[in-house]
Amino acid sequence: MKSIPKLIRRFVGILLLSCIALFGLNLVILGLITASQTPSRHPWITAQEMADSLQIGENGYCLPENELIQLQSAGAWAIFIDNVNHQVVWQTDNLPVQIPRQYTLSDIASLTRGYIDGYPTFTGEKETGLMVLGYPKDSFWKNMQPSWDYQAIAELPKNMILIALLNLLVILLIYLIANTKLLHSVKPIVVGIQALPTGEAIHIRETGVFSELAANINRTSEILQSQNYRLHKKETARANWIAGVSHDIRTPLSTVVIYGSQLAADMTLSETNRQKAAAVVKQGERMGKLINDLNLASKLEYNMQPIHKQPKNAIAVVRQVVVETINSDFDKRYFLEWATDEYLTFCSINVDENLLKRAVMNLIQNSINHNEMGCTIYVAVQKNDDDCVILVEDDGIGASDRQIEQMEKAPHYMLCDTNTEEQRHGLGLLIVKQIVAAHEGRLVITHSVYGGFAAKIFLPLYGEK
Amino acid sequence: MMEDDYLKNKRILLVDDEQELLDMVTTILKDDGYRHIIVAKNFRQAIALAKEHQPQMAVIDVMLPDGNGFELLKQLKNDGDYPVLFLTARGEDEDKLKGFALGADDYMVKPFLPQELLFRVKAILRRSYKSENPLVKLKHSEIDFARAEVIKDDCHIPLTAKEYELLSALYRNAGRIVTIDALCEAAWGDNPFGYENSLMAHIRRIREKIEQNPSQPVSLVTFKGLGYKLIVEER
Repeated sequence: MKSIPKLIRRFVGILLLSCIALFGLNLVILGLITASQTPSRHPWITAQEMADSLQIGENGYCLPENELIQLQSAGAWAIFIDNVNHQVVWQTDNLPVQIPRQYTLSDIASLTRGYIDGYPTFTGEKETGLMVLGYPKDSFWKNMQPSWDYQAIAELPKNMILIALLNLLVILLIYLIANTKLLHSVKPIVVGIQALPTGEAIHIRETGVFSELAANINRTSEILQSQNYRLHKKETARANWIAGVSHDIRTPLSTVVIYGSQLAADMTLSETNRQKAAAVVKQGERMGKLINDLNLASKLEYNMQPIHKQPKNAIAVVRQVVVETINSDFDKRYFLEWATDEYLTFCSINVDENLLKRAVMNLIQNSINHNEMGCTIYVAVQKNDDDCVILVEDDGIGASDRQIEQMEKAPHYMLCDTNTEEQRHGLGLLIVKQIVAAHEGRLVITHSVYGGFAAKIFLPLYGEK
Repeated sequence: MMEDDYLKNKRILLVDDEQELLDMVTTILKDDGYRHIIVAKNFRQAIALAKEHQPQMAVIDVMLPDGNGFELLKQLKNDGDYPVLFLTARGEDEDKLKGFALGADDYMVKPFLPQELLFRVKAILRRSYKSENPLVKLKHSEIDFARAEVIKDDCHIPLTAKEYELLSALYRNAGRIVTIDALCEAAWGDNPFGYENSLMAHIRRIREKIEQNPSQPVSLVTFKGLGYKLIVEER
């Protein structure tokens, strides 16, 4: 479920970027609109210019013609209030009648900040008086009490940032709350899709916005379950058939081996006949081993072999195999040598002891089977940083690179689903591979430093690093 | 021969539904000198014969027409505590483990060699009835397990507890190599790791007691890196 936090991070990132981009865009649009709607000349500036342009002549005050035209085009009127007696000493012709001609100080303070009879007014100073421009009603809105605390202005940038952050936080919260429900709906779908390859039975509630998708995943899981069940049933039947056949063969095979042994030891028979009887025993034993191998290989292949892993000292387990082999009727043509470093006495692995013994026995038997003229078999346990390595090597005839490659890659006839004519290795090596795989290990087949064949089992160390 | 006579006089119950196999195993055992063989073809007969003859060992098949060998083992063990060897066509590890868990002394899978069967039967009998056979003859000495001592040149040399345990383990597998790990386990219990040097010291002391020349042992032989073998003289 690592994808859900990643998804949330991506969504939030996109949201933040969108907010910043939107904010920038708004600023630009606002700037453009303001610039397009603001009069070319501000009324305060116009008022000051009018005051500056007002001239006093012989007939009193007068304003140049072009300034008057400019006022008329804006629909504005103008008066000039004398400083001495606060009377209107000059006015434009279009002055509305209701505009007073005499002003008190409080009237002047009021018109400077606001309006005269609803006309927005703007003032321009002159040494002798005050120029007042009156624009048409509703053409300008004036703030009557424009004053700000200096501290508030000083802290304005900080406050703006705080407000912006608060806004972002609120947007984020709203976004997260809105998306949580969506993500909750997505989560079971994601879990279901992730679980599909494991082969587990899946059932997702078919509700919410993804109900159709959930239903499809449920159907897919049902189909996979049904296929797995049929496959498992077929494999179990095959493994049981092999187990049954091998069981039924063993008792008659015992008769063959026992009678054969008795005949081989019967001194009243000729040497030739005793040799034939010994060959019958040998082949009978071989068949016994073969059915054991076939049974184990099929159970390992179809996961029907119980694997009881326990922490074990690999050295003790492998040593036991070597000793059991020597203690059995070990052919005199072969020598078994324990090649483990005497200072290495402990190497912990988590294994099914019986299966590991079987794997090592098979490798020893492999060296025997391929060296009819005899050889020395070297068995050793080594420990590297991560693995316990069990080596079974010999100084026999060995194998060519091509043969080794075939052993590594060519599937056994038990597992092969094509009609390839490639020669394949025996069951012994297949079982070793299966056992090693069941222990998360690996098998390496190579040339031995002793001149023959070498098989190395790598198993992960247990409880030590 | 005293030990052989003693062991081969034990009553052995054979249980298998295959008449031919019963006949063969009976012949194998009788040819080797076992005198008291009792045969049963099914579960019911085995119980009846066991009650009547009080066997001292049983060799039984797992698959019987009227029951299974695991159940039979439980019932036989209830009637008398004697060793049991399974001789069966069921070769799966699970079956072996079940047999051993129920108290079987050994488990053999068919097909088998007659010599192997004889060896295992003898080993089980020797293990189970060793206390009645106190003297074990070696090349230069004798071991008296009943008294826990070695008799060498008419001298009685006592064995320590550990030496006794080690020699018992070696004697139970006389003629076969016993691994260092199995010997450490016999002497120091289930977690024998790290006792290799102590084992070597005990082996040296045992050799001083049983060998003529401990530096050149002939009865307790070392197999480097693997273990030791006790060589017992035939009587």
